[in-house]
Amino acid sequence: MNWLARLLHRAELEPADARRLEAWRRLPAPERGAQLRAGRFVVVDVETTGLDLGRDRLIAIGAVAVAGGKVCLGDSFETILRQERASARDNILVHGIGGERQRKGLPPEAALLDFLDYLGAAPLVAYHVAFDETMIRRAMREHLGLAFRRPWLDLAAVMPALLPAQARRCRGLDDWAGRFGIANYARHSALADALATAQLFLAAAALADAQGSTRYRQLQELEQAQRWLQKGH
Amino acid sequence: MTAPSALIAATVEHLGHYAPFDRMAREHLAWMAERLRLGYYAKGEAVLAPGHGEAQTFYVIKQGVIQGEREGEEAWLELHEGECFPIGALLSRRAAISTFRAQTDVFCYEMDAADFHALLRLSQPFHDFCTLRLADLLAQSQRQTQARYLSAATEQQSLESPLASIARRSPVSCSPDTPLRQALEAMREQGVGSIVVVEGDARPVGMFTVRDLIGRVILPGTPLDIPMRQVMTPDPVALPSTAHAFEAALAMARHGFRHVLVADGGRLAGVVSEKDLFSLQRVGVTQISATIRAAGDLDGLRRAGEDIRQLGHNMLAQGVGAEQLTQILSTLNDLLTLRVIELECAAGGPCRHSFCWLAFGSEGRLEQTLATDQDNGIIFAAEEGEDPGPIRAGFLQMAERINRALDACGFPLCRGGIMAMNPKWCLSLEEWKGVFGRWIEAGDPEALLNASIFFDFRPLYGQAGLAEALRDWLLARTTATPRFLHQMAANALRNRPPLGLVRDFVVASEGEHADTLDLKLNGATPFVDAARVFALAAGSGATGTAARLRAAGPRLAVPEAEIEAWIAAFYFIQMLRLRRQHEESEEGRAMDNRINPDRLNDLDRRILKEAFRQARKLQARMAMDYKL
Repeated sequence: MNWLARLLHRAELEPADARRLEAWRRLPAPERGAQLRAGRFVVVDVETTGLDLGRDRLIAIGAVAVAGGKVCLGDSFETILRQERASARDNILVHGIGGERQRKGLPPEAALLDFLDYLGAAPLVAYHVAFDETMIRRAMREHLGLAFRRPWLDLAAVMPALLPAQARRCRGLDDWAGRFGIANYARHSALADALATAQLFLAAAALADAQGSTRYRQLQELEQAQRWLQKGH
Repeated sequence: MTAPSALIAATVEHLGHYAPFDRMAREHLAWMAERLRLGYYAKGEAVLAPGHGEAQTFYVIKQGVIQGEREGEEAWLELHEGECFPIGALLSRRAAISTFRAQTDVFCYEMDAADFHALLRLSQPFHDFCTLRLADLLAQSQRQTQARYLSAATEQQSLESPLASIARRSPVSCSPDTPLRQALEAMREQGVGSIVVVEGDARPVGMFTVRDLIGRVILPGTPLDIPMRQVMTPDPVALPSTAHAFEAALAMARHGFRHVLVADGGRLAGVVSEKDLFSLQRVGVTQISATIRAAGDLDGLRRAGEDIRQLGHNMLAQGVGAEQLTQILSTLNDLLTLRVIELECAAGGPCRHSFCWLAFGSEGRLEQTLATDQDNGIIFAAEEGEDPGPIRAGFLQMAERINRALDACGFPLCRGGIMAMNPKWCLSLEEWKGVFGRWIEAGDPEALLNASIFFDFRPLYGQAGLAEALRDWLLARTTATPRFLHQMAANALRNRPPLGLVRDFVVASEGEHADTLDLKLNGATPFVDAARVFALAAGSGATGTAARLRAAGPRLAVPEAEIEAWIAAFYFIQMLRLRRQHEESEEGRAMDNRINPDRLNDLDRRILKEAFRQARKLQARMAMDYKL
């Protein structure tokens, strides 16, 4: 049934939306070999109705680009996906996106297409990729019928690999942000968290540079090595 | 696609906490935020260096601390959250002069030079901020002070104006051979109260005023046909036309004249009278000094004391700078003290032993503010082998009368007992040497504290030679004891200007002094202490902070502009102290030196920060000299 549902969904896309999606598909593949100090990378954070990867839904995407080794404040993105019913009160308290704003968000198709336009061909970066990636991928599949497979880099694994001595004390994004004096103007807002993550990405790039790693792919390799280490123990 | 407003709004909000962004239009800030990038610099990394070539980027610190370094000097500058650089290099499209190095992990907002120049055209507050130098800021602050205190109705002559704009041109003059009668007729015809006696090519040689008539002509019955040279006051005080009005006021106060000549290249150019200077002021400098000189009892002096304080407030309202103001106040306070001593000495009969009255502390440095207590002592001569005890006993009675009289005139008794009536500070020359010598020897905190008060001594009345002998001895001893100067320097460095890492200023967080900082202790003292160390090391006998810094300049090989920047910073802090005291006195509260930096206007807050930074530079220089 799954393939059928997907087919049906795709059939429901407006022709204009379908054309936008097609244009995005034709973009060149993301460049994993891009230099960290030169290429454009998009740092992402999402807000959801809860922490259950299987059941909870995507509410908001916040993203900011790092290009030429700098966070570009003008090159940032935020969208709220319209929800048929607002999330539970305790969840609203986490991200602060109230029921009214949830219902007034963009139709999910439009919101996701906006995100794709913004993303372009850039590789992605996040803190705890498994969560962000799963939520975005499922939404893409449900609403656009798109198999969203892009390169991701997970700072939650990269940071301990770069600074093993600090790994014991720094467990979450807040800990690492504190280590580099990164202030977060609004914790648990997707865009503010994305900005904090982007700043952490700059610090990671500087550390990697000092260790001779200058490319996105090299950080991905570092991430994989770290995961293998973590599994081995 | 339009950028999402949340991030731009958050950036605008963040920038809005700092000058000059707090005064910029929100649309211009948003314009700027759209163009900002965020860069990261690891601790120790150079953000910008002279070798990077023409400055391409405008930086605003988002978080962290950046240090500016110049060749041969370390850490001359510290930049904190919200501060920008390198403005000078961007404006003149050249490379930065300093290396800007991240002292912690630093995130900077960054904008292209082209956008920086576009923003200069777009936003006037931003333009002003970038193009005005510290000197302009000080002038701007001074104008604000003036505007604040001046009542719109009164039109007061600024003591900052050059004499050229005040002096009466083509003053009435005569030659030394002119008969007195002819000179008096000329004065009556012209309706003036003074005549200048000139020789040859308009060279002023004397002065005669109607006030001289009584004492020199009428009472002695001088015939009116004698030549002017016999009745004139010779060698009149003359200042160049570029001199400022306050200098004329100072000269009048020092010499008790009511007129000062203006002469350029030895040729008479005009006359300035006290009336010209203070025509609209209730109390004038010379008026007060004349009152003091003529006072025959304590009552007259007490009124003069009140007048001095009133004058201080008036001059502050005129926007007179702290340097001039503290000098004039100190000069008048000197005169008053002098007259008090004269009267008490006369009342006590002739003194068998010669002595000298010494001023210590701020009075010794000629840096008295509006709230000032007594710091004085006596140095007296004793024959070799003579017991100083009985001599002291004689002086102590007189000293107590003087201290009490000064108290009555508005100079409160010193709570620390640093007064001539205290037997500890009424000593023979040899005893003073012994005391100073022990402090230099000990170098403990108490000795260093005493040195910081007593080593600024200045002779006020009596045998100045005694004070000079003590000074020569002291300088010889301190220059020969580098260890002591080292200890003084280390002690001075313990008092760091309160520039905080997190907030703009470090202030007391609780208690009765919550949210305030002490302008005297945290602001002025670092300058005063460093200047003392430099002067002693240079063997300079100057006691004023500005004079000491200028005297030490050549030995320190510090450019004159830098010395002047230190001095300007010092006087700005002194000015804030004076203003603070003025306000407190207007509100009928006890005067102190504490201010809440949050209550200062943006401009003064920015200058105060800059002044503290200058203090840090001064301290860095001292730390370098003494390897501290």
